[in-house]
Amino acid sequence: MIELGKKDGKVVVVNADLMGTCRNRTFVQEFPERSFNVGIAEQNMVSFAAGLAQEGYKAYAFSMAPFISMRACEQCRTDVAYGNRNVRLIATYSGVSGGISGATHWGMEDCAIMGSMPNMVVMEPSDPIQARQMLDESLKHDGPIYIRSSVEPVPSIYGEDYRFEIGKASIARDGGDGAFICSGITVKHALGAVERIYHETGKNIRVVDMHTIKPLDRKAVKEAAGTGCVVVAQDHNKMGGLGYAVAEVIAEERMAVKFANVGIDDRFVPMAHAPFLYHEFGYDEEGLYNRMMSLLGM
Amino acid sequence: MKKSTVSELEQAALEIRKNLLHLCLVEAIHIGGDLSVADIMTVLWQYQMKYDPENPNDEDRDRFVLSKGHASAVTSFNQAAIGCFSPEDVIKEYAADKGRFSMHSCSLVNPFVEVSTGSLGHGFPIACGMAAALKLKGNTASRVYVVMGDGEQAEGSVWEAAMNAVHQELGNLVAIIDFNGLEADGRIDEITALGNIAEKYGSFGWNVCEFDGNDIAEIKRQFDSLPAVASKVPTVFVCHTVKGMGVPFMENQAGWHAGKITKEQFETAINALEHTVGNGD
Repeated sequence: MIELGKKDGKVVVVNADLMGTCRNRTFVQEFPERSFNVGIAEQNMVSFAAGLAQEGYKAYAFSMAPFISMRACEQCRTDVAYGNRNVRLIATYSGVSGGISGATHWGMEDCAIMGSMPNMVVMEPSDPIQARQMLDESLKHDGPIYIRSSVEPVPSIYGEDYRFEIGKASIARDGGDGAFICSGITVKHALGAVERIYHETGKNIRVVDMHTIKPLDRKAVKEAAGTGCVVVAQDHNKMGGLGYAVAEVIAEERMAVKFANVGIDDRFVPMAHAPFLYHEFGYDEEGLYNRMMSLLGM
Repeated sequence: MKKSTVSELEQAALEIRKNLLHLCLVEAIHIGGDLSVADIMTVLWQYQMKYDPENPNDEDRDRFVLSKGHASAVTSFNQAAIGCFSPEDVIKEYAADKGRFSMHSCSLVNPFVEVSTGSLGHGFPIACGMAAALKLKGNTASRVYVVMGDGEQAEGSVWEAAMNAVHQELGNLVAIIDFNGLEADGRIDEITALGNIAEKYGSFGWNVCEFDGNDIAEIKRQFDSLPAVASKVPTVFVCHTVKGMGVPFMENQAGWHAGKITKEQFETAINALEHTVGNGD
């Protein structure tokens, strides 16, 4: 964020008492005049950011996924999306990454909610280099953006030669015997699963990093479906998440493929650590390995 | 055309009310709240605000946000009065498919609308963000005016904004509350009473001005006495008004929150209006 602030004097940050959790305190220290903290008032945070954007600023508003997508849902939709304003809603605690904080702090539905707002771009980084480029690209994009991310910093996947483009999926690993389509933390899990499958069976499974959930890269989906076997995995309710978006493309393209949608089951579960929940819902490395192997008939 | 005297503004407010009734003859509008806020809006648009219809994006203009978005008709007629379009345009295109005017203001089709509104409790916090942005830009020429309803004060987001506006020292912000005492379901005192709303804003640290919002001379005086744009305390006008003001059969009737009138009602209303102004009231 500091780099963004240095590059563009129009970048402003709005917090709702979570600048520590959302890791933008250094921006606030570097650019105090361009930082606002409205207190624990997410609705005001989003509307206030819309007002800043109305006057020409690029407003980055930070909170946890459930508080942006649900507490301030109408503000996101009516004040940001309807006005097509340059507000960037940056959410942490997406999926069940909030672990022991429990369902109040889990962003299980944010893709479904935010993705159904016209004009809203929805993204989820899987890697630090990708996340940095995603923020860089957000400076150039005209219109609102929602970025969801996990509590823990994402693991490293890409090298310095990586190039990010909004709406164009990244191929984290190529392969023609089947494909994972993932976003965020599940990309790393899929890469681990694919490695195991290769060592055990010699099969090359593609990992499509669908960092932009909306607008969806239809071409990447079609190409992945061309392998005949697709597993979609996202740390999000299976309903209304990446799996639904991918399935729609496959159905519209009339492609006959083996298909599985893996994500959070459509039920509330008690609080537990994130890795336990990823395992429980079947999208840790082992779960994804099992799912792909079963689709491959192995 | 801008007005400068109280009598010119009273005449202008009469024209606004007549236009509202003309529109109300053909379309259901939020007539009660349009009429209660008509005097405030007339002084605001036709006297107070720095706004050039030829250049609606001028950086030095005053900003206007209609937080009570359902008062779109009275806003549009005032914008027509300063030359944004004509009153006939408003009547012809109101609620017409592909028209520029409707139940709520929409910036997609109307370039004179800064912020699309309708859902209550949104315009006020957006206006706060705009006021903060103007300060950040170093713009000391412009104010942000935001008009709210009294029923709207029940929205929690209003108080999130009211608290933060003081903290941000938004002296360039003027919030106006059209306190007509009635909301869609009836008397506000029987729904969730506002209590002493002026005291509430005052205790939050606002500069509070409480006055008769249907008295043109008083409204003008209050605008003339606003603190400097660069001051550090936001101002709120608590305007006591009468819902349906100027049309006797509509005054203080919650049933006239929104609706359409008959030809007979139109004649009665116009006669009453002209009689009122003729008496110099």
